[in-house]
Amino acid sequence: MERVPFLKPRMAGSRFDDHAIPLDMLKELAVLEEMIVEVAKWHYLNDHPNRERSPRGFTKGISVKLIAVDDGSAMPDMSLFVDQRQLIAPANQGYFERARDSIVDAIEAAAQEAEIKKHLPESLLGYFDKLGRGLRSDEFIDFAPEAIGRSAKLNQTTRRALRFASTQLQELTEEVSLRGVIPEVDQAKLKFEMETIGGQRISGPIPMQHFDTIVKAFNGYRDGLRVSIQGVALYNRNGQLKSMEEVEHVSLLDERDVGARIDELRLLKHGWLDGKFGKALDSDQLNWLEGRLDSYLSDPLPSPYLYPTAEGGVQLEWSICGYEITLDVNLADKSGHLHALHMPTEQETESRVSLATDSGWEEVTGLLEKFNGERL
Amino acid sequence: MKEDTPLLRQVHPSFIQDGRVSSQAFRPTPKDDKKLSVYDGHAIAAADAYEHYTKSLNQSSVGVMAVTCQECAQLELEAKDDPLEDFPEHAVIDFSPYGTNATEKKAKILRKRAEERDWLFSNTGT
Repeated sequence: MERVPFLKPRMAGSRFDDHAIPLDMLKELAVLEEMIVEVAKWHYLNDHPNRERSPRGFTKGISVKLIAVDDGSAMPDMSLFVDQRQLIAPANQGYFERARDSIVDAIEAAAQEAEIKKHLPESLLGYFDKLGRGLRSDEFIDFAPEAIGRSAKLNQTTRRALRFASTQLQELTEEVSLRGVIPEVDQAKLKFEMETIGGQRISGPIPMQHFDTIVKAFNGYRDGLRVSIQGVALYNRNGQLKSMEEVEHVSLLDERDVGARIDELRLLKHGWLDGKFGKALDSDQLNWLEGRLDSYLSDPLPSPYLYPTAEGGVQLEWSICGYEITLDVNLADKSGHLHALHMPTEQETESRVSLATDSGWEEVTGLLEKFNGERL
Repeated sequence: MKEDTPLLRQVHPSFIQDGRVSSQAFRPTPKDDKKLSVYDGHAIAAADAYEHYTKSLNQSSVGVMAVTCQECAQLELEAKDDPLEDFPEHAVIDFSPYGTNATEKKAKILRKRAEERDWLFSNTGT
């Protein structure tokens, strides 16, 4: 087998900071290989307009393999392995390389808001529904990291542009985490209905490994038992959620689940307080808060109660061991005002903290641990 | 108003989570000019105050809690009648002499007193 350097994109974002690739993201690379093969066939057929299909064995003896993960955040080093014994090898190697270049060019066109379909046909743009689906909002894959003057970054913005360039793609998929209740289960068809916190009803398949949990959630429906479902959801081109396509994780939620409460706060519209006052809370800022609370305020610290503020912030409250504690969070500038009142003595503790920094959150958790420790 | 006059406070649906009411329900929001609006509980019953607030004023409430004039006085908060046109039972608890920390402290104590008294009316029907 001859090994030919093929593609070394750069995956960037906090999950790749350790120069490693989460296993979850390896499926993105598998989609990339599938796409390269189909784009290579498309190039072949363009060169041979009289042929209906690519030659038998077109992909035989040639494959894309991951040989290493280099530093910088993480750079999967992919090589083309070509079996020299295959008579057709020299030709199809060229098509694989042209396929790679077309994909990179299409991504670059999306980043530059240029004509995407000059590089790939509409049908093959559908691969971007899967390729890049696992990227989070702060992550990207740069497909031309070492090319000076080029920018071929696949992120959720360019992925959206690539998919929307295809009019054939009427349904889009996204990785989601949804919270809600399960009012209906069809055990024979292994399907469930979920009512999200926003009130939307969607259906989804029940994988056997999550059957018991989903049935438990269904049985707890009348008691308001909430569940979190992670997986792949189907949307139409207008961004309307249609159904769950794949269910990967299912968890029953505590009554005071912070994420579920934050989903409720997302629903508030401008004027929520009295029709005029009460600023809607920014969804991205709420995502940030949810992430911070998940990192810093987990067990054994009690979950906070969360209330919106008229100014578009969130007030966290705890009643712990005679203390009434509030942390007034300004989501816009990521600052907080902590005030604790010991009810029996009326002694106050107060601090202004920067919640943009780890040290600010550590100060908050330190004080909460101190108050909580007085319970013992 | 007398010492034992209940000052009825409507609780916004967003200021309650799993039955626990936020201290924000007992302090003025920026639009309130540091004066917390309440109903004079000797002039109107809790259920009627709820009806007036949600129907006549078309505002959102999950129910009515109360503190007394005496509890306000203990916190050096002045409670006074503030009748409005078509709303003679309107009263206010005046936080205007106080800054952020003092307001928060007083709101927490008022919240606790109201919580101990429990709901005078809730829209689930008590």
